[in-house]
Amino acid sequence: MKKISIFEVAYKNLLRKKTRSVLTVLGIAMAAWVLVSLFGFNRGYEASLNKDIDNLGFQMLIVAKGCPYEAATLMLKGGTGLKYMNESIAATVAAEPEVDGVTPMLMQVVFDPNKGESGGLAAFLGVDPMTFPKMKSVLPFKAGGWFREAEAAEAVFGYEVAELEQREVGDLYLIPEKEVEVKVVGVLERTGTQDDGTIFLPIKTVQKVFGIQELTSIGIKVKKEADMKAFEDKMYKLPDVQVVSLSQVKTTILTLVSTARIMVFSIALIAILIALMGVVNTVLMSVMERRQEIGILKSMGAMAGDIFKLVWLETIILCVGGGLIGTGLALLTARLTDVLVRRLLPYSPSGGLVAIDVGLVLTALGVVTAIGLVSGVYPSWKAARMRPLDTIRSEVES
Amino acid sequence: MSTRRRTRVPKWLFLAAATLLLSAAAALSLYAAVGCDLNDPDRDVKRLFPESTGYKTLYVSISKKGGDELLRRIEARLGDRFTGLFETSDVPYTMYEIYKGTDLIGYIHGVNQKGTYGGLQVFLALDLKGTIRGIYFQKLTSRAARAFRDAAFGAQFIGLSLSDFYSYDVVSGKEDPIGPVSRIKNPDPASERDFRAALRATKKNLVLVDEFVLSNAHLKFFKG
Repeated sequence: MKKISIFEVAYKNLLRKKTRSVLTVLGIAMAAWVLVSLFGFNRGYEASLNKDIDNLGFQMLIVAKGCPYEAATLMLKGGTGLKYMNESIAATVAAEPEVDGVTPMLMQVVFDPNKGESGGLAAFLGVDPMTFPKMKSVLPFKAGGWFREAEAAEAVFGYEVAELEQREVGDLYLIPEKEVEVKVVGVLERTGTQDDGTIFLPIKTVQKVFGIQELTSIGIKVKKEADMKAFEDKMYKLPDVQVVSLSQVKTTILTLVSTARIMVFSIALIAILIALMGVVNTVLMSVMERRQEIGILKSMGAMAGDIFKLVWLETIILCVGGGLIGTGLALLTARLTDVLVRRLLPYSPSGGLVAIDVGLVLTALGVVTAIGLVSGVYPSWKAARMRPLDTIRSEVES
Repeated sequence: MSTRRRTRVPKWLFLAAATLLLSAAAALSLYAAVGCDLNDPDRDVKRLFPESTGYKTLYVSISKKGGDELLRRIEARLGDRFTGLFETSDVPYTMYEIYKGTDLIGYIHGVNQKGTYGGLQVFLALDLKGTIRGIYFQKLTSRAARAFRDAAFGAQFIGLSLSDFYSYDVVSGKEDPIGPVSRIKNPDPASERDFRAALRATKKNLVLVDEFVLSNAHLKFFKG
């Protein structure tokens, strides 16, 4: 005679009420799905944000007071409102002991009457070929590379602007309004930042073409061991400049996102509690329906521990099954979650927003199993302490 | 006799799988290739078709309409290979169907074309037979941009159709025998490459419209 294991008994018990078991597993799967996706988002968002900030190459930006330092802001203002600072400030900042390197920049925006029916704007960022590429070493090139000379009539195109202008390495480009030709020497990969829409030129070329000898911003790379806060305070003392610390930017973005995150985590917690109650309810109902059966098992010699183990195992099977389906769903729909979250959030960094790894999957499975263990205790205990005679008698009486 | 039990897949499993597949497809479609659209369709349609009362937007691509075979036929009719980012078979072309009341009165269609100093976006306003009634350079980076966007230059294209462009070779920039395309004057001889780019874009545009919406009405005139 084939000996049947306790696991098989538990499994077969669950199959007796298929719909109920499937619905309970689905409830747990949903909770596990939300849990894994949310924790994946939590990790992915912060990692991508850190990467974006690291990709900027510098931790601090100094701009002339009142000057919009973002291309988008410049565009909104119609390319006006640029304010300049003296070139000598770059040297002053570079002399500070905390500074690892500085890179001066000059942004210019021109009106291109031949874009659309009523014209459009084109943004140019003059950068120093000696310092900027070193700081932005992570900027990936799709083709070509940086310009090598300080006054070269050359340009590096961001991904989107190269696509729009259909420029490839070796092509020419005409700076609107100024009618100056430059040669494209590099095209960047898509970064998801404002670099995608920027045309980079050597700073000296921009100064010469636009007749401006000043700067709009200075990127600063601070030494790792430097006290960032003290250095920031020192920079605030410079006259007529504004300091933008990227650690501040990061904190602000994370604060904005954390409000939404707390709400979503609360929803996840509620989903888990509902799933837990669902499991307790299902297993308890199953125990009550099998009172006579449990009574007979006990009268045949089954100990309270055996009954406890059997019911507990049923609960764990439900939870582990739901956990596996839920984590699988989270892995399958990670890309979709990424797209949806990106649409909902006011700002999203360029990398993947949902990062699900083996560790997270195992943790989620562990949490769901723990839920199973906890939620199974009461129904199992209830089943274990049933007295055989009472249960059989109650069935006969009813 | 042994009987084998057939395992039936539950309906809910089918539904779940279909939902997942559809969601994944929707997510992927958000990352499709970029086409050539009017910047301000409401304003531009009214300007190119003043009598219009509405328009419909259709999205067509060579890959969906006929794949490699269609691409080869379009290249043969154009007389040049499709190259570069904006000439792949999965580029979605935006076709504007123009209506006056419930009557379809014409089409507007734009294409991207590489120029000397930047990309050109050339839109044609066409009647139902595919005859040009207006040309619009939405974007143009050229030393002669102003001249190309001038109404006098655009007026030279009015009344022409794909049949007139067949004898124009977009590679050499020559028309044999001399026909109506040769009568289009380059407003700035120094910008010959941009002039040829404008003509290539026009011919490409006409071929695509003929393939996509005119049921190849001009194919019978093609002697390729």
